[in-house]
Amino acid sequence: MDLRNAEDPRWFQRAVFYEVLTRGFYDANNDGTGDLRGLTEKLDYIQWLGVDCIWLLPFYQSPLRDGGYDISDFFTVLPEYGNLADAEQLVEEAHRRGLRIIADMVMNHTSDAHPWFQESRQDRTNPKADWYVWNDDDQRWGEARIIFVDTEKSNWTFDQQRGQYYWHRFFAHQPDLNFDNEEVQQAMFDVVKFWLDIGLDGFRLDAVPYLYERDGTNGENLPETHDYLKQLRKEVDSQFPGKVLLAEANQWPADVVDYFGDGDECHMCFHFPLMPRMFMAIRREQRTPITEILAQTPEIPDGCQWGIFLRNHDELTLEMVTDEERDYMYAEYAKDPRMRRNIGIGRRLAPLVENDRRVAELLHAMLFSMPGSPVLYYGDEIGMGDNIYLGDRDGVRTPMQWSPDRNAGFSRADFAQLYLPPLMDPVYGFQAVNVEAEKRDTSSMLHWMRRMLEIRKQHPLFGTGTFEIIPVENPSVLTYVRQEGDDIVICVNNLSRFAQPAELPLQRFAGRTPIELLGRVPFPRIGELPYFVTLGPYQFYWFQLVEHL
Amino acid sequence: MIDVAALEKLLPDYLPRQRWFSGQDAADATVTRLEQPAPGLGWALVDAAGSTYQLVVGTRPATEPPPFLQGQEAGVLGTIDGLIVYDATLDAELGMALLSLVAPDEHAEHVRPAGAEQSNTSLVYDNRLILKLFRRLAGGPNPDVEVVTALTEQGFANTPSAVGVWEDGDYDLAICQQFLAEAVDGWSLALTSLRDFYGSNCDDAGDCGGDFAPEAERLGETTAAMHIAMAAAFGTSPGDTAGWADLVDKQFERLQPRDIDQAAADRFVAALRAVPADKAGASIRVHGDYHLGQVLRTDAGWYVLDFEGEPARPLEERTAPSSPLKDVAGMLRSFHYAAQVGLTERAEANQERYLPKAENWEAHNRAAFLRGYMGAAAGAGLLPGDDAALDAVLTAFELDKAVYELLYERGHRPDWVVIPQSAIARLLA
Repeated sequence: MDLRNAEDPRWFQRAVFYEVLTRGFYDANNDGTGDLRGLTEKLDYIQWLGVDCIWLLPFYQSPLRDGGYDISDFFTVLPEYGNLADAEQLVEEAHRRGLRIIADMVMNHTSDAHPWFQESRQDRTNPKADWYVWNDDDQRWGEARIIFVDTEKSNWTFDQQRGQYYWHRFFAHQPDLNFDNEEVQQAMFDVVKFWLDIGLDGFRLDAVPYLYERDGTNGENLPETHDYLKQLRKEVDSQFPGKVLLAEANQWPADVVDYFGDGDECHMCFHFPLMPRMFMAIRREQRTPITEILAQTPEIPDGCQWGIFLRNHDELTLEMVTDEERDYMYAEYAKDPRMRRNIGIGRRLAPLVENDRRVAELLHAMLFSMPGSPVLYYGDEIGMGDNIYLGDRDGVRTPMQWSPDRNAGFSRADFAQLYLPPLMDPVYGFQAVNVEAEKRDTSSMLHWMRRMLEIRKQHPLFGTGTFEIIPVENPSVLTYVRQEGDDIVICVNNLSRFAQPAELPLQRFAGRTPIELLGRVPFPRIGELPYFVTLGPYQFYWFQLVEHL
Repeated sequence: MIDVAALEKLLPDYLPRQRWFSGQDAADATVTRLEQPAPGLGWALVDAAGSTYQLVVGTRPATEPPPFLQGQEAGVLGTIDGLIVYDATLDAELGMALLSLVAPDEHAEHVRPAGAEQSNTSLVYDNRLILKLFRRLAGGPNPDVEVVTALTEQGFANTPSAVGVWEDGDYDLAICQQFLAEAVDGWSLALTSLRDFYGSNCDDAGDCGGDFAPEAERLGETTAAMHIAMAAAFGTSPGDTAGWADLVDKQFERLQPRDIDQAAADRFVAALRAVPADKAGASIRVHGDYHLGQVLRTDAGWYVLDFEGEPARPLEERTAPSSPLKDVAGMLRSFHYAAQVGLTERAEANQERYLPKAENWEAHNRAAFLRGYMGAAAGAGLLPGDDAALDAVLTAFELDKAVYELLYERGHRPDWVVIPQSAIARLLA
């Protein structure tokens, strides 16, 4: 399918996203760093896998002190990644294959190397003097929490040159832009439009809750921030229909829904607490952690969608769980203290579940069938591991493992030149885990993933259908029904490592026949009694309920 | 309408087949009232074996027995004048009639039985409402109705709210409540945790995936909130250590000499008597039969059910004020049972290997429950005045419960006698 003329403004509600680190995906010019041309070369693979939209981590000019989230020029591609022409070609080639591309955009702050900040810090009277948030002391807005507690002591840092403190919600080298300044508001509109002109299909908006600061508040989710995002949405919709804004707001669902506005703000928001709850449910072998958070998740406006994920480039976010649950998650998943990053756990999926393929499959089956658009993290489709000895969050950002060849087939540069070494341990190393080998092996995780994505695509209800939990007595079994029109799918998940029975109250579907979607095997017809199923350890079923065989 | 005499004739055969019938023999059964509160629905009061029971019946031509009676022979009373007479709760149509009697404002599409029960019969409507029909009736308010209504009034949200009560003069006949369809009972959750622990390599329940302690702690908090609401609703009176000592002493007397170290028992009772009256804490209306099977984990936290007290005890005893620690003790005993029952699921030869784990799980969750309870109850003025008094009173009610269990197990499940036996030994040690 060629997307260049496609018009489905709600495509994102049924899409599966694939998060890619340009640096780590494929190196086309053999300098040891992945690049946009490399990604273009691997589009066939991404298309084969069956995802719908690529999400690119930042590829803008940056001193790279925070993985590119410290942007020093919004209009230039980081030279290691290529240039604007490469970006244009990538977008065009992706669209030709029916793939869309969204990219990270950091609204809240820039790098301290950005010319705007360099100008602003000169003195208190220059034309950009008010583009950042300056103050004479570091006491204001003490209610605002410090997000990177491992590295930062305050949200204020003193600038010698200007003789004032500047405000930063993240690292000290990332000063916050002052959105009270109308020029800043306009400048960021221009940045967004520039990239939409090039053909990007939308943005994942980084760190949106913190755009504004107000006295007596914690500086999160302020009304002014929502007003600005609504303006942004209006600008985008009027000139670039069919684009998507995906908000990163790491907050409770009840607060996050505000970022949907009345369907006039962001199209999508990440559902953060669901993910740690899914891990917890499997460790506890009971569904309550999941059903509890779903019960606390409000309805979202028409035309909106949650973004849901298992792992991404950041840590497993534990901000959304209680202290006791956080201790528990630490104890369970981060047995080595080095695995802890900020308030979370920096691990990839496979090592997180102790390389248990059954758990990885069950987690994905739930991810693909719960309400929201799934976001996959590059490498998780082949069960890649991590390297916890690399600094900061680099442990989960190692090169994509394409083949058992030199440098994992990622680059033909000298090994020492690579931005990070590929994994080489006997379990997760590229000799054992790589795309080439898994493509050949039809029982691989990769083939399983591709098959699941194919099935998901055949049933739009997974994106836009209703979702309802079906009560089952066995606490280890989580069952729900997805429905859209006459298409009905029942999902049954065994969260336990032991086999479990379940009596499903499906009487209202009496007369229908369940068809297991992976094998299209018809199961006995549903009658007037509870429908009895047995599930092996960590097993799941997707049953389509058909009227006539 | 059925004939009273004909109905009476069926009862000596019918009643002993019912789980809710507590007598041995129903030869003396008499129908004291027989009415038709709704079309097709027969309602009767029956005196038998010293108690009063409530019957609801339906009738159909015996020539065409309805399909819902297949496999439900226990619920059929017999045949009168060519009509088959059966328990009305088996009949969906009459189930709807019952709902309109108990909660006239409610309407439902589907009804199903709620599963095996000991002393009542419950029907579930649309997975949304549950109607509990009391079987053995006692004059005065039914404790469940009384407590649920009072707790709802106190704003205690963790019990299913009542939407309707069916009364007849002095009797509470049935209650209709919100049904927590997606909830899981505490017993199943505890066993899920135990299976995970027994099947793992960890030696400490706190390190294990299925750790139950956070749930136990939250359950402790909910329990304390329940007691605070009970005290507000029904009032408090001073605790009575002397009375509680008598109670425990009387319980001990029911045991055989080999069940108990008499010297230790005497020492314990003496120590309990020695607790000064002003340290005893309060007496309040309590749940009375508090265990893991009476609590449900919902998406909105723990919910408490079934305030009828231990069905085997007389009504006055069930509603009599007691220390809130009676409920705490009941739950702690339930943790012990869960750990031990989890053990019995393992192969017998291996049980000894798992015994330290059972003890570890129990101690771990006991501590968590008490932490949650004491934290939330602190300052409410319900608990004994110091640690020694608290320990003595809590132990007294654990002993009371364990003796009750031992006598029950001896009569019903001799294999399990060892569970309360070991508890009594431990509590007196």
